Amino acid sequence: MQFTFPCKRKRCYNKNINFTPFPNCENGDRVQGRFTGLSVEIIDPSQAKSLYDNGCFGKGSKSRGGPASGDEDEVLFLGMEESCFLAFYLDILDITCTTGGIMDFQMFLKLAMDLNERFVENLACYLYLKSKNWVIKSGIKFGGDFLIYKQSPSLYHASFLVIVQVSSDLEYYKSKNLKGVQRVAETSDKDVLLLTVNKPKDIATPKELKETKITETIVRRFNYLTFVQSKQQ
Amino acid sequence: MEMKTLDTEFVEIHPRNSYLSPKELIAHRHKEFEVPSGGLKRTQNEGTASELEELKRAQDHLRAQLSVPRIERLGGRALATWNEEQQVAEVLRKDGKFENFGHSEQGKLYLEYYEALFLLELGRLQLEYYGLVVSIEQAYVLLLGELESEKYTNYLVYSALSRAGYIVVRHKPPEATPESVTKADCIWALLKKIVGNHLVPDRIKASPFYAVVDKQMEDNKELIISQKIKEPEDTEESINLQFDSKKRKANDEPIEEPESKKEKLSTSGRSLVDHLKTEFSYTKFEEVFEKFDIVQLERQDYATNEFTVSSLKITFDLHLHNEGYKKSSPNPPNFNVIILTSQEAFPTHDDISKIQNQYLHTAPLLVVSVSESKQIQAFLYFIS
Repeated sequence: MQFTFPCKRKRCYNKNINFTPFPNCENGDRVQGRFTGLSVEIIDPSQAKSLYDNGCFGKGSKSRGGPASGDEDEVLFLGMEESCFLAFYLDILDITCTTGGIMDFQMFLKLAMDLNERFVENLACYLYLKSKNWVIKSGIKFGGDFLIYKQSPSLYHASFLVIVQVSSDLEYYKSKNLKGVQRVAETSDKDVLLLTVNKPKDIATPKELKETKITETIVRRFNYLTFVQSKQQ
Repeated sequence: MEMKTLDTEFVEIHPRNSYLSPKELIAHRHKEFEVPSGGLKRTQNEGTASELEELKRAQDHLRAQLSVPRIERLGGRALATWNEEQQVAEVLRKDGKFENFGHSEQGKLYLEYYEALFLLELGRLQLEYYGLVVSIEQAYVLLLGELESEKYTNYLVYSALSRAGYIVVRHKPPEATPESVTKADCIWALLKKIVGNHLVPDRIKASPFYAVVDKQMEDNKELIISQKIKEPEDTEESINLQFDSKKRKANDEPIEEPESKKEKLSTSGRSLVDHLKTEFSYTKFEEVFEKFDIVQLERQDYATNEFTVSSLKITFDLHLHNEGYKKSSPNPPNFNVIILTSQEAFPTHDDISKIQNQYLHTAPLLVVSVSESKQIQAFLYFIS
């Protein structure tokens, strides 16, 4: 039983498919972002557009996907994991805190941990998947941590619903929980990807994340009835 | 039968049993019970009066359903007697083919408790216990035991999978016979020789594939060395995946099919979500991707640690009917079945990985979960 993954193209063919996975910042212009207490906002419309068009980062404050409403006051919201990635790993984003200074990694980490105590684990998974060329979006609408897309959410349906687990708390291996997310994911033709993060210690610098190791588990419902019937023909 | 006097012309017959009329016979043969619908599914006891009332009603209904007189032909059934000590049913008389049921021992055919109960429910078996016919109701207690045990869930899974059309047999642990040498084994041995200076084992050298593979690899090496490096074309990305608008089927085309059996069963050490690395956008930005490729997949090395015994138990093996299953010399099964009760958590990556690394299984693992409402659902695992 070999593994194949779902990857369904959306039914719109007129979309521009010439895109790059990362924003182009070769001219040295760094993107300016502002931490709001919940997320990071990009106010400059051209920077917001460049972030969304190249790598599909963030979400327009007045749109379903990228900033598309055309209103002047529309900003781009970046999630905590993606802003951390852009600022401290890709190094193209400056995040200013509410008082006006530029935040360093430790300060950002502390604020992010206040919002989500599993931030480091989530960040590890984000980096892990990002390094494999996935476009990563919040998975809250399907009850998981992330949704991962091939190329862009406007071209493909999400292939996986990602759930982040730590080895000490395997909540999602409980029968009821696993069957729950499994059903939700299956009706929208996704697979559930359980990532278990093994973090040996707390981190202080971006590079220290390399101690972290990840295991992947995909549990798929198997229709034993149709399988045997398909083999009988 | 009784004769009154020899003088009377008429002989009156008084049957000792009352017989059912043909109409009654037919009515009883196809007696159907409808399950009363109980509204929303609940999973926990509340202990309220109305709930107790409802439970009692459900139990009464079940009792009525189980104790209804069943009409069957006397013939057309095998006969077996239950052996309490060995917990098996010994077949005394066969009726028709027994195909995939039971196992022979010293010329006698024995049925496991789940096989006996299944045949009993199908009306193919008459079970006796100390010379008395056992009813289905009694058989549940007799065969599955009075105390709560895994036997009931095992029977439920056995019955569901058998009805679905699988041949379900007790799991046979893999035998420790050396695998016959395949082409892939030769390739690996050669690679190890070239890369790691390992000696090629004699059994691989003796294989007829060895010389062929050696030659092929030399040829390939030449090809790779002499080939011109192609520039990636900048124009358009070629997407080879098929985008089917239909629902995913159980037997999609595999991405890759490793040749050796061991590799087939164990996907350990490989990521399952690496496919996008072959995309053009990845190769173009490979340097950037590698810059933050710092979180890695965990690699477990069980070769050094032999004592990690998996807690998972494989109960059944599944075979398909049309693949020529033979009781005496079964092929490798299509699936190994692990049964989970509703309380048990699903096996984690570690659990599955242990079972895979020790080659305790002979086929893909199928995790079958029996829910509180006794529904059966199967799951397949894919792990890194």
